[in-house]
Amino acid sequence: MHIVFVIAAFIAILAVALICIFLFAQGLPTIFEIGPSKFLLGQKWTPTNSNPAFGILPMILGSIYVTAGAILLGVPIGLFMAVFMARMCPGPLYRIIKPAINLMAGVPSVIYGFFGMMVLVPMIFDAFGKKFDMMSGDSMLAASILLGIMILPTIISIAETNLRAVPQELYEAAVALGASHERTVFKVLLPAAKSGVMAAIVLGIGRAIGETMAVKMVVGNQAVFRLPHEFLKGVRTMTTNIVIEMGYVEHGSLHNGALIATGVVLFVFIMLINALFSILNNEKASQ
Amino acid sequence: MKKILAITLVIVFTLALVAGCTNNNTPSSSSPSQSSSSPSPSNTSPSPANTNQTPESTEADDSFDASRIIAVFTREDGSGTRDAFVSITGVGGDMYEEAVVISETNEILTKVEENEYAISYVSVGSLSDRVKALTIDGVYPSNETIMDGSYKLQRPLLVCVNADSVDDPLVQDFIAFMLSAEGQDIAATRWTKVDLNAESYSTSGLSGTLKVGGSTSVEPLMQALRQAYIVLNPGVEIEISGGGSGAGISESTSGVLDIGMSSRALRDEEKANLTDYDIALDGVAVIVNPANPVEGMTIDQVKVIFTGEVTRWADSN
Repeated sequence: MHIVFVIAAFIAILAVALICIFLFAQGLPTIFEIGPSKFLLGQKWTPTNSNPAFGILPMILGSIYVTAGAILLGVPIGLFMAVFMARMCPGPLYRIIKPAINLMAGVPSVIYGFFGMMVLVPMIFDAFGKKFDMMSGDSMLAASILLGIMILPTIISIAETNLRAVPQELYEAAVALGASHERTVFKVLLPAAKSGVMAAIVLGIGRAIGETMAVKMVVGNQAVFRLPHEFLKGVRTMTTNIVIEMGYVEHGSLHNGALIATGVVLFVFIMLINALFSILNNEKASQ
Repeated sequence: MKKILAITLVIVFTLALVAGCTNNNTPSSSSPSQSSSSPSPSNTSPSPANTNQTPESTEADDSFDASRIIAVFTREDGSGTRDAFVSITGVGGDMYEEAVVISETNEILTKVEENEYAISYVSVGSLSDRVKALTIDGVYPSNETIMDGSYKLQRPLLVCVNADSVDDPLVQDFIAFMLSAEGQDIAATRWTKVDLNAESYSTSGLSGTLKVGGSTSVEPLMQALRQAYIVLNPGVEIEISGGGSGAGISESTSGVLDIGMSSRALRDEEKANLTDYDIALDGVAVIVNPANPVEGMTIDQVKVIFTGEVTRWADSN
């Protein structure tokens, strides 16, 4: 029986290893063929022109902007919600909210994308279109709002679990010293659960940067170099760059390689985020 | 204190929701009236709209603001529709870089339907009432205008075979099926026939294997043709692969493929080694929102919009 578990474990590891090997074996040669600096810092992406350019800096920045926007909008709401659910929520309300959050985590991303395309994008266009001379509602703002909503369940459930794990003695001691309930929660419990809360945020970042389907439908997908204050214009993220152009690309071409190489860069980003997550988890364990 | 805060928050959110909903309703309730009023002048005068555009835009639509930016939506790099569109209009590799890139035809239709200032292009077979197709040089895209060549934004869907395969009876029979009345009826489901008076196909009873490959734009048509053909000829197996028009042409020249598919006309040097047959025509329609008063454009007007030289509706005519 023992052997079954070992095989199961190896299959999982094998899958990850195969993905790594495939990505790097296919992607790295292309990066060197294009030139690492030209690829990572190039500002032009014109893969099918007669004189093609493969620069993915606009996409790297696009991913970062959209994720940063999502964190800016999603983290405060998510944290307050977690605090509310862990320490302030009356029982009957909790029994409604908790399943709602779980449901939110289970909604497929294409449904979020559809909601974004049909509701969010026209709303942004109606609100800001005329004033700021927008071409359409497809923008970094739309993608950030949508991702901000999508990362809420991740942040809320992990932060809530960590807040609940804080020993009850800390709470009682603070209240016994005369601190109010709110003060205890924000000055004692939240700092005690700090590394767990940070882990929740990091996982939220991971979810946001890897999201593809929903982002594709609201972000505009222009492969143009943008600055952060142009958040009412569209960008292309690394994920949408791959998914949009994958369909028609010729196998074995440089264009195909460049898309896989975009995947390599994205993969490195995800590895960094996961490393950060395990560092934070270790910190929590050592506390 | 907490209760007051909570109640004010609830009120603010409800107001925001109500405001958001009414905002959504106003354009949608007013747009049907526009869409019903704007096509009426077009029915009476479908001719080049240059002269009657100005009066139209002032009388019919108060809500269409011509000073707004043109919202350009385009297909992604590598799409067959985009290839055809940029090569016929002369946009080439200079597609406006601010244009929103969409990789699905249905998504394009939705975006154009949602955005009054949008312009985009789709295959004529995918047109729906949700959007308005423009006349190009005064000609509206339809099966008749595409077939007689007066609608300029069109491309042939063709198959090509090299000198060795052209005598192969099975290749000949399959191509005869494509050009027969049955084959052309299949082409007419989404594309335009090349021959209205094609003769009926009669089964030959051949067997064997055919390799077909190339343009992904022709692929759906070829799949449909294959399905009908193998029902009539159970002994035949047909393998279809993609790869693009370029691969279809080069691999049918070299003989890797029995039949190559292409969604662009062959060049003269390619024609030296290949025999080609147009099996259907595919038109590309330039589409705008139904609320847009513009009814038609010239190819040049389309080109300057999609290269980004003209960015406002007021400057487009």
